[in-house]
Parts: sequence; C-alpha cells; structure tokens
Amino acid sequence: MSISEKTIATPTTHYGKPSTATWRFIVQRTTGLLNIFFTLYLIWVVLRLAGADVAAMGELLSNPIVTVVTGLLIISSAIHMEIGMREVIDDYVHGEGALKATLRLNTIVAVVVAAAALVALIKLAYWG
Amino acid sequence: MTMSILHRATGIALYAGVILLALWFIAAAFGPGPLGIVHVVFASWIGQIILFLFTWTLFHHLLGGIRHFIFDFGGGFSHDARFGLAWANIIGSIILTLLAYAFFVWF
Repeated sequence: MSISEKTIATPTTHYGKPSTATWRFIVQRTTGLLNIFFTLYLIWVVLRLAGADVAAMGELLSNPIVTVVTGLLIISSAIHMEIGMREVIDDYVHGEGALKATLRLNTIVAVVVAAAALVALIKLAYWG
Repeated sequence: MTMSILHRATGIALYAGVILLALWFIAAAFGPGPLGIVHVVFASWIGQIILFLFTWTLFHHLLGGIRHFIFDFGGGFSHDARFGLAWANIIGSIILTLLAYAFFVWF
C-alpha cells in the first residue's frame, strides 16, 4: 500500500498507534540486547544437550539457574521474533484484511510456541 | 542493503529455529520415543547441516543486532564504517561459529 494523504492524516488506520509502534521499537531493542546473552547461552545449551537422553536433559534443566534463564530466553525470543516478523509482514503483506489476519496469526504462533516450550521446560525441570 | 536483507533473512530463519527448539523440548517432555525421532533427524547429515547453519545464523543475527545498535546511537554511518561493519559482521559470524564448534563439538 502506498502512503497517501489519508494514511498520513490518520496513521492509526494502517500503521497502528504511534505510541504502540514506539513501544515495540523499545521492546525490540531491549529484548535484542538481552538476546545477545541468551544467544551465547543457547548455543552452549544446544551443543551440550545435542543427542542427550531425557534424563540428561532433565538433569541440566532442573538446575534452578538453568530453568530460569532458559524460561527467560524463551519469553525474550518469542517477543523479539513476534515484533521482527511483524515488520516483515508490514512490508510485504498488502490489503487491510490480509495484513490484519497475518499479523494476528504471527502473534498466535509466537504465543503458542512460547507457551508450549515453557510447559515442556517446566515438565522436564520438575518431573524429568 | 545486502546486510539489511541478511539480517531479515537470518531473523526469519531464527523464527523457524525457535519453533525447532520448542519442538525439541516438547518431544523430550513427551518421553524417549518422541525425543528419539528428534535425535534421528538431527543426527542425520541434513540435520547436522541445519544445526551448523542455525549456529551461524544466530551469530550473524547477533552481530547484525550490535551493528544496528551502533547505527541507533548515530555511529558507523560513513562509507568506510558501513563497509567495515558489514565485513566484520560476515567474517565475525563465520569465525564465532567455527570457534563454537571447535570448542564444544570438534575438540
């Protein structure tokens, strides 16, 4: 969609509330900064647990620090990927209905993935 | 331009990567059977390539993010700085990937 006078006059119609967009800008950079640490941690976890059985995974993940950091990693990554994909969708999906539907789907995917990963993490940490 | 596309492409790849990570945890939570399937997939040559590329993608997006922080604070906009950062991003991500594998996998 090209930017018309109408879009500029009422930015909420297509690009959302300006304050929400600013909030997303800040959150994207905050989670991005956190993810520098989480990325290095994730590479350590993945390469350490690659090929490990359920017992070995449970043993590492049941360490309280590992449980909490892995949980925060999942939440921070889900938020960061939701906002990042939102920008891609904003750029490439055209038409009001398709745009809204794709953005909604993106949010649902991020929430479901994060929730499922968190439940699995808690299950592994507490019950092996 | 190229770096912007790469940052997006690696971002989208990591979106899929996070889903793979979630599937791995979920499979493990369901027990040895489902986890065994994940192991077979990731032990295969195609799985090994995916894991290696996933590691590189993480490092590339991480360094690309730092590059964007430098831009956010108003630095690195000169011609030389932009090209320097772009090359540092690409070469740095390859070196860090090889170091991570050397440290955790190969030796």
